[in-house]
Amino acid sequence: MSAPTLAPPAQQPPTEPRSETRRERRRRERLEERDATIPVELYGLKRGTVSVLTACCVLFALFILAPVAWVIINSTKTQANIFQSFGFWFASPFEFFHTFANLFRDVDGDGTYSNWFLNTVLYSVVGGVGATVLAALGGYGFARFEFRGAKLLFGIVIAGLLVPITLVAVPLYLAYAKVHLINSIWGMILPSMVTPVGMYLMRTYVELSIPRELTDAARIDGASELRIFFRIALPLMVPGLMTVLLLSVAGTWNNYILPLIIFSNNTLFPVTVGMSLWSQHAGNSGDNNLYPLIVTGGLVTIIPMIALFALLQRYWRGGLLLGSVAN
Amino acid sequence: MSAISLEKLTKVFSTGVRALDGLDLEVNDGEFVVLVGPSGCGKTTALRMVAGLETITEGTVRFGDRVVNDVSPRQRDVAMVFQNYALYPHLSVAENIGFALTNKKIPKAERDQRVRSAAATLGLSGLLNRKPAHLSGGQRQRVAMGRAIVREPSVFLMDEPLSNLDAKLRVQMRSEVLRIHNAIGAATLYVTHDQVEAMTMGDRVAVLYGGVLQQYATPRELYECPANLFVASFIGSPEMNLYEASVADGELVLGSQRLALGGTETVVASYRGRKVIAGVRPEDLELDTAGQAETAGRAGQATLATDVLIVEPLGSETHVFFAIDAPAVGASTLAAAAGETEAGMLAGPAHNGVARCDPRSAVHPGQRVTFRVRPERLHFFDPDTNAAIR
Repeated sequence: MSAPTLAPPAQQPPTEPRSETRRERRRRERLEERDATIPVELYGLKRGTVSVLTACCVLFALFILAPVAWVIINSTKTQANIFQSFGFWFASPFEFFHTFANLFRDVDGDGTYSNWFLNTVLYSVVGGVGATVLAALGGYGFARFEFRGAKLLFGIVIAGLLVPITLVAVPLYLAYAKVHLINSIWGMILPSMVTPVGMYLMRTYVELSIPRELTDAARIDGASELRIFFRIALPLMVPGLMTVLLLSVAGTWNNYILPLIIFSNNTLFPVTVGMSLWSQHAGNSGDNNLYPLIVTGGLVTIIPMIALFALLQRYWRGGLLLGSVAN
Repeated sequence: MSAISLEKLTKVFSTGVRALDGLDLEVNDGEFVVLVGPSGCGKTTALRMVAGLETITEGTVRFGDRVVNDVSPRQRDVAMVFQNYALYPHLSVAENIGFALTNKKIPKAERDQRVRSAAATLGLSGLLNRKPAHLSGGQRQRVAMGRAIVREPSVFLMDEPLSNLDAKLRVQMRSEVLRIHNAIGAATLYVTHDQVEAMTMGDRVAVLYGGVLQQYATPRELYECPANLFVASFIGSPEMNLYEASVADGELVLGSQRLALGGTETVVASYRGRKVIAGVRPEDLELDTAGQAETAGRAGQATLATDVLIVEPLGSETHVFFAIDAPAVGASTLAAAAGETEAGMLAGPAHNGVARCDPRSAVHPGQRVTFRVRPERLHFFDPDTNAAIR
């Protein structure tokens, strides 16, 4: 193996950037990236150390990814094959499309996967968007305005970070019963709109990424506080907002405890609770062919989250402030 | 009537820091007033209080005869240019300039017309659709100006608007800013730490130090009759040469040398036999090239003999650094007294004076020279109060 060397200074990109095809651009970017890579020796690390650390990372990745692989593989199997064939390889017949189609039919009158899936989408979208809006407003407020009790209030928000929902399950249930939020979609959505993490993130984000001069300038320019927020601050908060949106949508999407406590009506279940209901049924009587549906249903459930992550990724970019303030 | 008047304006921060202490200042209609002072002197705080971005601890801010202490910035109708421009990065140049007009709900047609004319004034016409990220530093500065002038404000505030430009552009923009000021004629309060900017731009200049107004006068008056030691050493570059001296027998005793005071003696008459601080501007030290000391003495001029240490030819003039045996008092001494000297200033240079000489004078380090001084060009300050003796 030849020892890596320091890269020569990066070449100027070929003159006419317009004439560059996509393929050429990718090639150039790859080469530039290689030039920018600093060999491990320059970090003061030994090759051996790096190899060991890499091996550890690979093992850890396998540990995390193995269940996902298992779900993908077994979503193609019949119930019999799920239990009898080797877990990490395919077996015929290839049943994925069959199971996938079945998934969206009413299985045993308990309500259907499609029903639960739409519930999950509803709770997550309304809860997640609401959480993001509230976190943005609250975080901006804490970051930009001085008011009496701000410290105390923010302390309470932070304290909210530390309270697990399992701890408040019983009081929450009792309180919900009093205000008729048991078996109501609002019982699910309202708590999902409260995100101490989101508010904390937004406050920090505003403090670090929106220069005070910018809001001062808008104030001098005669903008109302609301207009400053929506027209000036919000566009610059987009990367932070996307983080909060993803966290809160995923949080609601995966929420199990809250809907378990507040819903007794099957038609209101989100996927998480519905699938566990299926699990119970499957466990009680082994011959109702529910296992392929559970495995495939699980797979289908994570796809929107992956898609959302891929979609929002392009908003995580720096340079939003470029040209705004000179330093 | 003055466009802006500040009365006993005071700012005490909650940390107890007294940033501004009883500032009285009047800015007349159409006047260009510069607030100048070293960093931390309270000039930006004063400006932000006028803008309404900072609460007022004590005192009043008036626009015309209207007290605006409790008026929000959006209702004060002031325009402000920020030190770091603070452009809205996601808006185009046109939207940046027109933002204030949109807030005032001015119809689109009029808004466009005003934005275009402001852009034309500033030479930004071709850039209206660009985002700030795609502008040069100078262009961004112009957009910041444009955002202010488009409003046709009655009060114009600028917080070190040129300090982020490179030296050449800064000089260019100085006259540009003045041209715009003359065109719109609004009362302007301009903050800078650069005394050259203050001298070249201000109709009147207010020198602040430690939150206290030191002197408020025309640039000429500041230069020729500084009210105190701080103004004397702050205004002018190179700095005024200041020494501890004493007055005796119609002469100024400067270390081992004696300078005949002539008619100027009456100014310091009451200081006879006491210490004073004597100052002389570098250009008031005339290099005596051909041994005219005798004739100088007869013409009522004092002379100062010294050894040249360093010669700095600047092309248009030459700075000659020298040392005399009188203890120097300078800005750095003042700063040291205020506890803000910068890391002891390395090992202090051995010279304690500078003269501004003709570039053609053949002076070289090590040479013994004589400077002629006209006594009426000497400045005197009380060593206890630092106030000028007149």
